Amino acid sequence: MGKLDGKVAAITGSTRSIGRGIAEAYLKEGAKVIINGRSQEKGEIALREMGGGPNVAFWQGDAMDQAKVEGIVDFAVERYGKLDIMVLNSGGVVNSAPVAMMTDEEWNLEITWNLNHVFWGMRKALQHMIPRESGRVIAISSVEGKNGKPGIPGYNATKHAVCGLVKSASKEVGTLGITVNAILPGLIITDIVNETGPATATMMGLPSFEAMIEMFAKESAIKRPNTVEEVGAAAVLLASDVAAGITGCMFPVDGGTLPY
Amino acid sequence: MGPGGVGHSRLTAHDATTKGDGMGELDGKVALVTGGTRGIGRAIADAFVREGCKGVVINGRSPEKGAQALREMNAGDRVHFISANVKERADVEMLVAETVKKYGRIDILVNNAGGGENHAPVAQLTDEAMQDALLWNFWSTFWGMRASLQHMLPQQHGRIINISSVEGKHGKPGVSIYVAAKHAINGLTKSCAQEVGTQGITVNCICPGAIETDIMKEAGPQAAEAMGLTYQGLLDWFAEEAAIKRLNTVEEVAAVAVLLASDLGGGITGSMISVDGGTAAF
Repeated sequence: MGKLDGKVAAITGSTRSIGRGIAEAYLKEGAKVIINGRSQEKGEIALREMGGGPNVAFWQGDAMDQAKVEGIVDFAVERYGKLDIMVLNSGGVVNSAPVAMMTDEEWNLEITWNLNHVFWGMRKALQHMIPRESGRVIAISSVEGKNGKPGIPGYNATKHAVCGLVKSASKEVGTLGITVNAILPGLIITDIVNETGPATATMMGLPSFEAMIEMFAKESAIKRPNTVEEVGAAAVLLASDVAAGITGCMFPVDGGTLPY
Repeated sequence: MGPGGVGHSRLTAHDATTKGDGMGELDGKVALVTGGTRGIGRAIADAFVREGCKGVVINGRSPEKGAQALREMNAGDRVHFISANVKERADVEMLVAETVKKYGRIDILVNNAGGGENHAPVAQLTDEAMQDALLWNFWSTFWGMRASLQHMLPQQHGRIINISSVEGKHGKPGVSIYVAAKHAINGLTKSCAQEVGTQGITVNCICPGAIETDIMKEAGPQAAEAMGLTYQGLLDWFAEEAAIKRLNTVEEVAAVAVLLASDLGGGITGSMISVDGGTAAF
């Protein structure tokens, strides 16, 4: 009786945090789920913790590795016979810096991770979905996909680019039973944000990680960060059959930060 | 997601049965859906009942249509119809008061009633047509929000969902009364969301694309004429603008309304959610 009974979903970067939240929500709604991450060990921990038995499988691979990203689609087909839902969730920054100090290496890394990975995964998924005339592609952008903050120019640029990619692709496949949407979450205090947040805060010129959290919370109407479960619920809706009429949508889950 | 786990009961939008089995997204909630006898409002009311609302109040101007809706919904005491005209402040305030009287509280307000009559290009537009559209769409929404907030603020919980339109973001010629009123609803929503954001209350808009409801069939031909089109031409224009090349459905809107009304919708506020098949790019 789930909203995603019989569906097969793949989610990049999903052993923890937002991706994991989406994977758990999908599993609960009856889907079979491929989770993915760089670390075999974290993958195995996630599989154990999720307790989905044969309904969850792990695909080891770096989202910056084209063959690994494309391989998720093949793996889903091999394991579960098809792919209905592709969630391109992996992303982030490593050594972000203001534009004047940004290195080519970091810039290229962010383009590869946040944008190329979404393109590779989307293209491969669409090649599978178009002949079947059915599918759901969801890219996890960010409130920063419509905003701009100092010190994270690559993140802002790539998340904006993802929104553009989604809008264009949604028009290409709109009559083929395939929707392509972006979810734009506000800040969420995930494991990954806990790990990288302090460095990011420094790059943004803020005194502390707490000050960064405070800044995002203050911009919102709810004055708190968002949660992975809130993103999971939106991802379930967009993946469901009844969402066939929602496409090219920049779906905000940002507590009222950017009201459009 | 909330408790429930694998096998969490979900019925499709087309399943006529009601749940009320303690497994819905909206168990125990009380909702008021204006203009809920037919069309989008009715689909939302149906979805709310299915997701476990203990009370859903719908209204309309016609008691006959209300009685018919109650028969079709077949949800016993969980749905209540009140004959009321949302263009009247006293009626809107009465709807909120009666919802609280009947079911003890109000958790969810859906300002859905709306439309436009006597459309014309601005150069030929009458004051009466503009005033009527503002009453029907904008004032009714404001009155419902203000009255509901008197209950939602003390209980520190609430969900206000305003049914705007893709025309709350875009603008089509000849229907400025509707476009202006829907844009105004979006502005009201954004401002109010900021006011109550820390009080457990969210305020959002859903912006649907064109849907061929009864109201559309009734009012569409005159609107089309004001736009210099046939009715079919109007429908085709909306479909052509969309990525999906078709109109939307009431069930698509209802699914988003359920998400926004649910506890997990607590992190979504001040949003203008498009259910327009890829028409508006924002």
